[in-house]
Amino acid sequence: MAPLVLEFASDDGVAARALEALYHAAPATDDPPTLRYTLRRTGTGPAAGYEAGSPAQPLFGPASLTDAWAFLEWRATEDVLNAATADLLFVHAGAAVLGNRMVLLIGDPGAGKSTLVTHLMMRGHDVLGDDVVRFATRDGRYSAVGRSFKLDDKALRGMPLVAALCAAGTLGTLLAAGCYYVSPAAIRRTWHGSAARPWAVVLLDAGARIGASGVQRSSEGEAAVVASRKLLGGAALPAPVRAGATVRLLESLEDAVAYRAVGADPARVAEALEREAMR
Amino acid sequence: MTIPGAPSTPTARPDVVLRRVGSEWVLYDAARERAHVLNLTAAVIWTYCDGTFQPAGIADAIAREVPGLDVASIRHDIHDVLRRFADEGLFQ
Repeated sequence: MAPLVLEFASDDGVAARALEALYHAAPATDDPPTLRYTLRRTGTGPAAGYEAGSPAQPLFGPASLTDAWAFLEWRATEDVLNAATADLLFVHAGAAVLGNRMVLLIGDPGAGKSTLVTHLMMRGHDVLGDDVVRFATRDGRYSAVGRSFKLDDKALRGMPLVAALCAAGTLGTLLAAGCYYVSPAAIRRTWHGSAARPWAVVLLDAGARIGASGVQRSSEGEAAVVASRKLLGGAALPAPVRAGATVRLLESLEDAVAYRAVGADPARVAEALEREAMR
Repeated sequence: MTIPGAPSTPTARPDVVLRRVGSEWVLYDAARERAHVLNLTAAVIWTYCDGTFQPAGIADAIAREVPGLDVASIRHDIHDVLRRFADEGLFQ
């Protein structure tokens, strides 16, 4: 399958900056774009707004810049996921590389994947993504997806440096409704690690927030089952292909250990996870 | 030994696959898109569900493979595990 090359363009200075905020973490390429997205300013005065254009979809808008931009990010992600093949799918997970050990972070929306990934990144570890990672079924390796992290005010309270970058409107950050989009490249110029098989699966549960913060060993089988439900991009694939990908995902976790994150302090969880990985 | 709901010689559905994950095992039922976590005992029992063993035969085979195991206890485990497999529709 030819690689997807996404192009984001705008004739508006503010919107162009927003697009750069989203995509300056993605690898640059000279290949021609296969998917084109646009943010165009429309109207004047109180009626001014933005229209978002994406392949084979009606224009979105007029809307505020952040709404139009959030639409584009969602649309582009959907387009990428829909281009999944039997060999290359995606997993709804965060991932980071601690030393040479890759950890897959599994949790429902709001469980704290982005927050933990960002803490791990600030501790010097490479990351593969905060919410979506690529999964190659042939070799069971996971690799990076160059998307922005979504961090809300609560997450930013524990990370003053990133909060300062956001507050200053540093290139690679964008304030949207209820959260900041933060490009990993805004935090670290080099940010993603090589493709790898997981050393550990870490389950994040929004309910497991009481008591001392850290990680506890957990059932590897249960973690693998939870992870297998997080395959993305296979919905359009034939059922046998999707089933095969699920088996490959289970096989990719053959030697993985499992942890459950506990407590309310993600910085402590990151520290504890790092200690386990460095043993 | 007869087990309610389970065939006399349990036969695993061919589309149900067993994979090791860490120190545990996962049975993945592709048709129902369901996964089941097994301990080692259940995983070993599953490998004998090939249509040639009756439950008592599975107990004897495991007892031969792992000397020192209490056969009565194995039979109890096999009864429970096969009934669970049957309840989950994992047999042909």
